[in-house]
Amino acid sequence: MTAPSLDDFLALSVDLTAFPETDLRGTGLAGKYLAKVRAACGDAVVTALFAAHQAARAEAAGDPAGFDRALRHRVFSDDCRGPVARNVIKLWYAGTWYALPPEWTDEFGARPAAETSTVTAASYQEGLLWPAIGANPPGAKAPGYGSWAEPPRIDDRYLKGERR
Amino acid sequence: MIDATINSREELISYLDAALALEHATIPVYLTAYYSIHPTTNSDAAHIIRVTAVEEMLHLTLVANVLNAIGGSPSLIRPGFVPSYPTYLPDGENDFTVDLRPFSPEAVETFCKIERPRKAPEGDSRLVSTGASEPLLAASPTAEGFRFYSIGEFYEEIIEGLGRLAAEDPKLFCGDDSRQVGPEYFYSGGGDVIQVHDLASACRALSLIAEQGEGLDAGVYDSGGELAHYYRFRQLQFGRYYQKGDKGDAPSGPELDIDWDEVFKVKVSAKMSDYPAGSELAAAAADFNTEYGTFLALLTRSFNGEPDRLVEAIWYMFRLRDGFNRLMRNPLPGSDGLNAAPTFEITVPDEVVL
Repeated sequence: MTAPSLDDFLALSVDLTAFPETDLRGTGLAGKYLAKVRAACGDAVVTALFAAHQAARAEAAGDPAGFDRALRHRVFSDDCRGPVARNVIKLWYAGTWYALPPEWTDEFGARPAAETSTVTAASYQEGLLWPAIGANPPGAKAPGYGSWAEPPRIDDRYLKGERR
Repeated sequence: MIDATINSREELISYLDAALALEHATIPVYLTAYYSIHPTTNSDAAHIIRVTAVEEMLHLTLVANVLNAIGGSPSLIRPGFVPSYPTYLPDGENDFTVDLRPFSPEAVETFCKIERPRKAPEGDSRLVSTGASEPLLAASPTAEGFRFYSIGEFYEEIIEGLGRLAAEDPKLFCGDDSRQVGPEYFYSGGGDVIQVHDLASACRALSLIAEQGEGLDAGVYDSGGELAHYYRFRQLQFGRYYQKGDKGDAPSGPELDIDWDEVFKVKVSAKMSDYPAGSELAAAAADFNTEYGTFLALLTRSFNGEPDRLVEAIWYMFRLRDGFNRLMRNPLPGSDGLNAAPTFEITVPDEVVL
């Protein structure tokens, strides 16, 4: 079996997080996150997750609604892949790997790396939740003295036509 | 013997405009190296480069204050203000260009050349023939085909010219005081913003620039007791800190911890043409350049009667930092495994909404 590739992990992560690949790579943590998922779940599970994602893409053939359905069907409602995919989302947004539920570890195996942990010291400040809410991570990525008096700089794509 | 090259207010302004471009041109060079360092590694080197870059921003502000004091209008958005890297800087030998490089021995060598102490022994050898029509950052704006040995020489020429013109023209310092940037905007570096109203304050401002760069009278420290930029960078070459009493060629302080491998290997002086056309990454690089152009426009307004806007400009700098980091962590396709980096190919939008 070939090792799960970073490109496949990024393709999955783009769809799970709704952040473009440039931003995901821009955290500098994509490689470390993939390593964490592999260590916590094992390569067989990770490979199956990537394959399910690719199958969902193929099935939808470019139709966004169809892709949403296929992703829910093939990934999120699957007992094995669903919890892992949700964990990947939390990993990108919060920078923390959360322990998988006991039902998952009972059925698919417990690994020491599956415990709740912060991946690196940088993962808190690189969490996607901060750009998503237009704020800096408290205590890191200083935004400049007095900038807190300004409204959050929320990305246009989240405004859905609303004005700031 | 070259005659004095500054004989009128217009000539003085053209020198100070060149000084503004010169101070700015060093900043992308230092920041590219600084942001290429992996987070939480190389803290000695990162600190040295960061403080130097921040002091270049102080120098830019000091030049703007001198320009405003004599009735000039500092512009950071005129065509050609941001050089196309690699570009020449004055060094006396016409043998090196300045690239946008990741942190590396080559980058540090360039830093030392940029900041190197003046060496012209006599006033008349301050200007040297360029021997070519290459783009130069500290070329004499008024004596065609000549440039300076070092940045210190360049400022020496300006200080002499200022003194001469001030003696001839009691109204030389006719600028509006409300255009001066005050010390409250500068933090996180050595030195202070000096407001310029007369010859004495103008000379203090320009001497601070020269001293912070290369040291005072060939000493390792400047008059504020701060290590000059040239010697700070020499520490990275020696792998050892200076301490008080040291001579330039023999630092005797603690060792520095440097790991040249803990660096994002970014493409040297990357251009937009290196990015795959139409790619997401190319759009991110173009966004950085647009943001930077808008930032320069904001600085220009700050230096033209709205000094309060510097607060906003500083917020911009922090966002540009995030833009730097994002690009440098992305591989640049087709570049043999090198990463992307800002290109600093800046076009200022015609109508900048600030």
